[in-house]
Amino acid sequence: MKIKVNDLRFTYPNGVEALRGISLKIESGEQVAMVGQNGSGKTTLVKHFNGLLRPTSGSVLIGELDTRNKKVTVAKLAQHVGYVFQNPDEQLFSRTVGDEVAFGPRNLGFDSQKAQKLVDEALALVELSDKKDTNPYDLSPTWRKMVALASIISMDTDVAILDEPTTGQDAANVARIAHVVAELKKRGKTVITITHDIDFCAENFERVIALSQGQILLDGPANKVLGREEILAQTYVDPPQLARLGKRLGLKKTVRNQDELLGALKKH
Amino acid sequence: MHERLSFYVKRDSFLHNLNPLTKLTLAFGLTFVSFFSPWILTPIVIIVLIITPLSFIGKVYREYFNAAFQLILPATGFLFIMQALFQPIGKTEIFRFWFLQITSESLLFAFTNATRIFAMVSSFTLFLLTTHPSELMSDLSRRGMPSQFAYVIISTIQIIPQMQAKAQTIMAAQRSRGLDTEGSFIKRVGALLPLVGPLVFGSLVEVEERAIAIEARGFTSTRAKSFLREIPDSTFDKGFRWILILLVIAIIAVRIWLS
Amino acid sequence: MAIVNLKKVSYKYPLTDSLALNKVDLQVKEGEFVAIIGPNGAGKSTLCYTLAGFVPHFFKGELTGKVEIANKDLALSALNEWVLNVGLVFQNPFNQITGAKYTVYEEIAFGLENLGVPRDEMKKRVDQGLTMTGIRDLADRSPYSLSGGQQQRVALTSILVMQPKVLVLDEPTSQMDPIGTREVFGVIRSLAERGMTVIMAEHKVEWVARFADRVVALYEGRVMMDGKPREVLNSERLLGKGFGISRYTSTAREAVKQGLWPKNRDLPVTLDEAVAGFKGGRK
Repeated sequence: MKIKVNDLRFTYPNGVEALRGISLKIESGEQVAMVGQNGSGKTTLVKHFNGLLRPTSGSVLIGELDTRNKKVTVAKLAQHVGYVFQNPDEQLFSRTVGDEVAFGPRNLGFDSQKAQKLVDEALALVELSDKKDTNPYDLSPTWRKMVALASIISMDTDVAILDEPTTGQDAANVARIAHVVAELKKRGKTVITITHDIDFCAENFERVIALSQGQILLDGPANKVLGREEILAQTYVDPPQLARLGKRLGLKKTVRNQDELLGALKKH
Repeated sequence: MHERLSFYVKRDSFLHNLNPLTKLTLAFGLTFVSFFSPWILTPIVIIVLIITPLSFIGKVYREYFNAAFQLILPATGFLFIMQALFQPIGKTEIFRFWFLQITSESLLFAFTNATRIFAMVSSFTLFLLTTHPSELMSDLSRRGMPSQFAYVIISTIQIIPQMQAKAQTIMAAQRSRGLDTEGSFIKRVGALLPLVGPLVFGSLVEVEERAIAIEARGFTSTRAKSFLREIPDSTFDKGFRWILILLVIAIIAVRIWLS
Repeated sequence: MAIVNLKKVSYKYPLTDSLALNKVDLQVKEGEFVAIIGPNGAGKSTLCYTLAGFVPHFFKGELTGKVEIANKDLALSALNEWVLNVGLVFQNPFNQITGAKYTVYEEIAFGLENLGVPRDEMKKRVDQGLTMTGIRDLADRSPYSLSGGQQQRVALTSILVMQPKVLVLDEPTSQMDPIGTREVFGVIRSLAERGMTVIMAEHKVEWVARFADRVVALYEGRVMMDGKPREVLNSERLLGKGFGISRYTSTAREAVKQGLWPKNRDLPVTLDEAVAGFKGGRK
């Protein structure tokens, strides 16, 4: 499912122009991270991908679907684009984890057999298979986050959007989330994330788009974008820790993770 | 984040500078007079001759008219029509269409109710537009109201915009999971639980945190409170409140005397 | 002389069977900056609430052992007096704004009004607080118009003006973007440097490494380690338990196996230590 954005502009009802001419293409199966300070337009942009917002001018195409068309409803786009919101407590309402995770697939009209299969697979991926009959609010916030994640994975959409997935999470949960992203990649899904965690971004996403004041500052492979310190600084993004270490050690290439750093040190 | 967690609009006006308790007394006073006065046109007179001019004096006429025309009038208008049509009172039929019937008694009843409610909501709207909750709280605390009571009021006033913001996010999240919020009535009823559920449960977590936060600021301290700002309570304020109270008592007395 | 003295403190939340805190011993000297690390569920928040008196006075449940702060015993104190001893700032800045006040200045004064502090003293403390935390320019703004980082600094200032002996912070930057994180840590650091006793639960180990005097590692309600940042943060004992490990530490740990980090050198916790070690290691 290809996403095409063409000179997108968006102004909120209160008059704030949040997007000032965004153009980009996301191919099927890409892993893309959106970074930039609060107010740069990341969330506004990404909300256009599932129809929550419609362009003021310009266009957004999800596959063949043009979001300017009112008939292309959010419910319709939900078949292709899943959106995990930041706060799980703003979506959990079911009596059991199983029901919660089945909510999405059921809305999409999957038959009960297929829905159950998707639910079980999603729960297995987030390590919650044994909590299928538990009330989500009996789980800790850490695990509620996983339930929220599972309920979008179970929708089996081509595109998954993760809004600040690691904010407030401990190291173990960040690792679980990274594992989910890797698994989605294996399945050929497009994963788009908005994140402030630049290390999480570097280690899990091949492409980084940096936004500032409603426009794209940088868009390219992670190890190119994350090395442009001065430009990233404009939108208050720090380089990842290991990239900083690599730079101080004189490495030419921007490293994204431990293996790249050590590999580059050996050759240096 | 919402800038205003109350209806209060900051201006410098005669009304704004009145003591908050005076304004509250005024709102209650106008409401009581509207409800207890034997003269049917009292609420309308109050709205036209007292509330509307006050909205100008208080420099909040724009906000008041917005609220009146967009909210209060439609709501009371709807109430009026419903009561006129469906309140089976009296026999003096004025109008009939199919099974719908309007009698002059029901018309009178509906008119009385609608205007009284309009006057009441308008008085309190005026009060909310010109009084910041913190001022009212401070004033009432100074007069001896216990802090828990104040907190309930503060948090209730806050809860509405907070819940509004939350409800919007919840709606967006559930729609993103394919929840159909348009469509048939039955579907829309089915859509309620996924929208209301998180609102309630999610808010419970926050209520606990807010209680802890306010406790950490000494809210339940038994020491005598002090006040950062002077809240003026002039002789005019005191006198005016007494006049209002006497007026209400007079109206109630007239009412009893007439019946 | 320990200003904080916890002895064999165990705690069970109501209607639960498991111990949220299990025989915790903790002594903190005046002016120390202690960081509490641990995976979610280890008891960090519970410990913070215990220090601040909310466990057990707000949450009820069963608390055993001794909690003594500034020579006062928690078991013999009421919560509304204990809050003068210990200030608490927690994760969500929005929930710490009372909503009762129209401006930041008044918001900060709120606690002092509750304590009956005379008006002149109140104004003095609020002015000092605004300067100390660098938010003087926000004084006339509505608390709800601020960013997360700004709101958190307002919450912090509101607690500071009450002049607690100990400041407890429960993951104060976990909801914050990088700017907010930097702002809040900056303030906390300057408070600690001025001699405030600070106890902070925190995930971001890189910050902990730079600022803390001591690190206490909690695991399943127990104190697993308690020592200098360098000793605790690069210890092998943290592995496999869900603790956040600094990327510099894990990279160096792996680098040892590949001969890129000298075997007898301590694993780094900060960027500078990592740079020094990797540069030296290849000579």
